[in-house]
Parts: sequence; structure tokens; C-alpha cells
Amino acid sequence: MTIVHSSAASSREAVVITGVGAVTPLGNGFTDIADGLLAGRTGIRAIDPGTFARERQQFAAPVDRIPEPPPVRRSPAADAFADLPRLEQLCTSTAAHALADAGLSAACDRLRVGLVLGIGAEQLKAWESDFLAGGAEVFAPSPHDTLVHRVAARLRLRGPAVTVAAACASSGYSLALGRTWLRAGWVDACVVGGCDVLSPTALAAFYNLRALSRRGDDPTRASRPFDRDRDGFVMGEGGACFVLEPLPAARARDARVYGELAGVGMSSDAAHMVTPCTDATQAARAIVRALADARIDAADLDYVNAHAAGTPVGDVAEAAAIRLALGRAADRVPVSSTKSMSGHLISGAAAFEAIACLAALDRQAVPPTLNLDHPDPQCPLDHVPHAARARTVRVTASNSFGFGGANLCLVIRAAA
Amino acid sequence: MSAVRRAVPHRPPSSAASMHARTPTAEAATAACGVAAHALVEAGLTEIAALRDAPVPAGGPSLPPRFLRHADEQTVVGLRAVLEAIAATPEPRPSFADYGVVGAPCHAGRIATAQSLAQFRTAGGVAVSPHVVPQCSLHSLAGAVSVSLGMHGPNVGSSGGRHAVSEGLFTALSLLAAAPAADGSLPGVWLVISGWTAEPGLDAAGRPAGSPAIVAEDRGRNEAPPVCRAVAVALTPAAGPGGGRRIELHMPATLRVAHPTAADPCPAERAGAAAEILAFARGLAAGDAAEWSHACPWGGTLRLSVGDADARSRAAGRDGGRREAA
Repeated sequence: MTIVHSSAASSREAVVITGVGAVTPLGNGFTDIADGLLAGRTGIRAIDPGTFARERQQFAAPVDRIPEPPPVRRSPAADAFADLPRLEQLCTSTAAHALADAGLSAACDRLRVGLVLGIGAEQLKAWESDFLAGGAEVFAPSPHDTLVHRVAARLRLRGPAVTVAAACASSGYSLALGRTWLRAGWVDACVVGGCDVLSPTALAAFYNLRALSRRGDDPTRASRPFDRDRDGFVMGEGGACFVLEPLPAARARDARVYGELAGVGMSSDAAHMVTPCTDATQAARAIVRALADARIDAADLDYVNAHAAGTPVGDVAEAAAIRLALGRAADRVPVSSTKSMSGHLISGAAAFEAIACLAALDRQAVPPTLNLDHPDPQCPLDHVPHAARARTVRVTASNSFGFGGANLCLVIRAAA
Repeated sequence: MSAVRRAVPHRPPSSAASMHARTPTAEAATAACGVAAHALVEAGLTEIAALRDAPVPAGGPSLPPRFLRHADEQTVVGLRAVLEAIAATPEPRPSFADYGVVGAPCHAGRIATAQSLAQFRTAGGVAVSPHVVPQCSLHSLAGAVSVSLGMHGPNVGSSGGRHAVSEGLFTALSLLAAAPAADGSLPGVWLVISGWTAEPGLDAAGRPAGSPAIVAEDRGRNEAPPVCRAVAVALTPAAGPGGGRRIELHMPATLRVAHPTAADPCPAERAGAAAEILAFARGLAAGDAAEWSHACPWGGTLRLSVGDADARSRAAGRDGGRREAA
């Protein structure tokens, strides 16, 4: 067998999160979002009747303001940023703020900084936006670069740039790839994450799929994961980007370390394009692989951020997967779904939920599941209803599942 | 169905070899994977309609009934490419049950999106198809291959644009690099890259007009009927002992400052994704004479090679701190 110098060591090298940029329904930036999550604040409300006037669904979790990129990374003029499509604004802003938060904005000229964006339907959103503005791009498209390359060029990143998609798990896969690139030595640092935007036809498509809650009379109580009266999810928008670095590099420059991306587990149900698989084997396999990758036991977990969107079938399937993967530890590992506050950010969901894990590590408390008035007996877990629970948190896991049967689990823990 | 089709026998993955990687302190980072099987399929709109109803070649596995009814055209052709590659694999075929899937389409979902938008304009949200998101998004090609053929490794969409070859291969190499080599949890990855030779023109209702849309002035007017092209490649963690076909990634220590734009694409991308897919497939089909390389838009090169890459690498003096171990 041939071994390449240093690859054995680097293949297990700790990869840590040193920068966070986020634009979400609960606020922008790590501190605001952590505050909101631990306070049990909701970002769900009625939405602009102008843009969404023709929808039957009139509530969601929108983003109020997308901050411009910090000046050092702002190559387009300020007014040009305002002209960018909303999804591109989100990705540019979160990536640039993540780099600034990591203190690496100025270092991009000498480092190989990769970019992995988890975006599930970039072109569908772009075609729709253009069409609703009177354009005809969808009928005869021009060969634009994809968004990830435009963002990389705008931020003047020297490194690979790739879009990945696994539907609602998309941005989680970006973290998985970024860690691999670092361990393989393909980049020195990597910006990873993903975002999504509310759009009229996406809202309609999910509504017609009967995936959305129909509690229009009380939007703030519509998202109720694991509750026996749940009836679907609430769409949200926004997302987050992170800067990943090898731990030694982060320590060498005295960077703030939010947490270590310690484990990744992936699998596919191979059962149905839309419906979650009722057999929990493959989803549990992703969780077990993530724990094994992090070299921890289920009993070491202090918190699981569930994918749980609030759909009748999906939440039961995930509860079964958690129980199958964690065994007896499932009785005492706190589980919550922050989608009860943020709504479902679709492509950006996994990145947002990684922030929830970082918040738990930072604040030593587990975010709650709002509206969990009557836990579904088919979801027997150690729930955290209504209010955050203070406790020691050193190891967390975040589940993400997507159309096409994609299963992902990330283990994020306090850096050693 | 017409078309060009190339396939080669499957070579079982070697458990003794693994991904190669270097740290950034070395002159360059490299990675490699083996090529176990491949096929290229091309189909026009009429042929795609037939494939949608009968997607499986003779002797192939059975799929769920009407599985491709709402699928994007690139999913239809991409899945057929995987099936053709499997069909060309001699018995006994290896199990693909734990394979991962990377689907890298180019502008997928456009026809369904156009139809959905046209219906939305006339009838509002109630008319939007619930199938658009699950069947015509970037993940859909990979998801369909995974679901229809029972593959339980990770399934991921990649790219979505004209850099589909670079991004698809990079993503597949990433999945293989991430998997623990020793435990066999990811014995391989199916990579499917697809795109149109020219984007089909659509009428106001989003129906294909049978003629190509004019996609770019610098590519000239192309009046040939649009053809959807997909290459499927089974990639393994490394080529078998002594060589075999492999795809290598060479990453220089210094990468491109700015990414190319549509107005100034890098040379490998000027021809468009469909031409790059064809070049890749021709390289795969060339057997021991394989010569294919592809410049990534961010710098770095993907290269198809045959034989013992380590020996060649040493001979070329590119082996840095490499050492041998039993």
C-alpha cells in the first residue's frame, strides 16, 4: 500500500469552525441568533401579501434585512449589492461575514480558501425571480456561472468552488465536503454553508405537496415538531456560512473556535423520492456513522438538534432513527427542533441548525422546541419543550434529511 | 433510442489501496480514484419520452412503476446511462447497494419550471406542480439513481451549471476521500454528469419547441435538434494493484485568484458542459490509450490515466514526501 506523507495524520486532524456569518428569521450573526434560540423567540409571522398575494399560504419565517458584506470583502459597489438577486445577496453576505468573523478576510489573497455552498434549487429560484419580473430567461437561458462561482469571484477566493445539493440537507453536506478538503490538503481554509429564499412557486409547490402547516389562523403556533397536533412545516429563508480551518492553524493565529466538526455520517434511504422512509435503518446508520467518525459513544451526546420539521410522517421516522442509533441513551439525551422557531430554511436549514449546536456549546443550554404542548407518543424522546434547558453541553449532533432519501448527521463538539 | 454508447467491464475495487492526499505544505495536493465502469447515453426529446416509459435496457433491473413520470429529462437520460454501464459489467457483478451517487446536471429542471411558471401566471399557486421541487431540483438526478437502484451510500447533487464536469468529479472525489478506506463503507460512487448540447427552445406554455434556444452568441447559432447527454462513471476508492484506469486530481499550491466569468471562461469550459461530457466519455472509452485532462475553473487539473500512477509520479519527480509502507 502506498501512503502519502502526512495524509495519515491529516486524515484525522481536527477541523474547527472559526467564523460564522448568518442571516436568518431569528436575526443576523451568531450572538443574535443564539440569544433568540435560547430565549425561545419565533421568526414566524404573516408575510408580505404583495409578493405572495396569490398564495394560499400567507405565513412563513422571512428575513427582514440582508446586511451588506463588510467593506474589506466588498468588491462590488454598495449599490451593486442591492441589485443582486436575493439568494446571491444572502450567500455573499453570509460568506463575507463568516470570513470577517474568522479574521481571514485579508488573508484570502495568500491562502487557498475553498467555497462549498449547499443550494438545492438555485436556478429554479433565479428563473422564477426573472419571470416574475417580466423576463424570459427560463425559456432561453444564457450561460451564467452558477452562484458559487460568482460569490467566489466577488470575494476573490483562491480555491475550489462547488455547489452541492441534498434538498433540505444541502448546507449540511457543504460542511462535510469542506472538512474533507481540509483534511486532504486541497485548501487551507474553507467557507461552507448554504441559504435559501422564500418564493411564490416554491411556497405553492410545498403547499400542494401537503407538506406545509395550514394553521393560518395562528402562525406562531403552526410549527410544532414532535407535537401530536402537528400538520406540516412552515417555510423560512436565510441561512449561514462558516469558516472551517484545521485546529492547529486556528490555534496558531489565536482565532476564536466555535466548535469542532468532529463527525460526519451520511446515508441514503433509497426508498422514495419524497416520503421519508418508515424503516429507520438508514437514517440511524447516518447517526451511528457520525458518532463513530467522532469516536464517541451515544451516551457522550449532550444534545441532538433534530431535523424534525413538523410533518406527521417525518418526525415519527426521525424519532425512530434516533432511538435506533442511540439505544438506551435516547432516554436521556435532550432533543429539540429549532424549526419551531426558525421555520424550515430548506437548503439553509442544516447550516442554521449547526448554529443551534454552536449556541448550545457556547451558552451551556439546549434550545427548546416551541409549541410542543402534547408530545406525540410515537416520538418518545427526551424533549425540551417551550423553554431552554440549562445543562453541560460538550458534544452535540445535528440531523438533516432531504428529498431523495438523503440522510446526514453532523457531530459538533467543543474544541479540545 | 439512439445514440452513442460506450461501456467497459467493471473492475472490482481494491481493498488494499486508498485515496492519496497531501498537506498544503507539499508542492501540490493530489487525489485519485479508480474507474470501474462507464457509459454514455444521448437522447433527443422524442427519445426521452420513450425512455420515460421504458427506462430499463433488456435484462436490467426492474424499477418502481412509472418511476420517471415526473422526472427531469436529465434524470431520465442519466439514469439510463447508469443502467447501461451496469448492463455492460460482466457477471458476477459487484453489489452497488452501498455505493454513493453524485449527480451533476447542467440547468436541470428548466422545462418543468417553465411550465410551472406559465401555469402560475394564469392560475396562481394552486396550479403549481408539487413535483417540481422533488423531481427537478439539483438533488433530483442523484436521488433518482439512489432510489431506483437501491443505493444506500450518500446521494448528492453537484454543480447545476456549466462547470458540471469539474464540480461533479470534485464532489465524487470528496466523498471517496471522506470515507474510511478500511471499513468498506463506501465501496464506490456513481458519478452522473449531464447536459444539453443546446438548451431546447420553449413556447410560452413551457413546451419544448423542438428547436434549440440560442444560448450564447459566442457559440454561434446551432440549428441541430437539442440532445441530452449523460455520462455515468462508477468510481472506486483507487485503481487496483498495478494500475487500471484512474482519475487523478492535481492541485497546485497556488490557485487561481479569480474564477472565470461567463464572458471569460477558462479554456476547458468554453465548449460548454455537453462538449466536456463528450470529451470525458471519449477519454473513458479509449481504454489503455486514454488521454483526457480537464482544467478546473479554480486551477488544478483532473486527468484520466492508465497504469501505475504512483510509479509515474515518482518518475516525474512529483512525489514529495511520499514513502512506502507494507
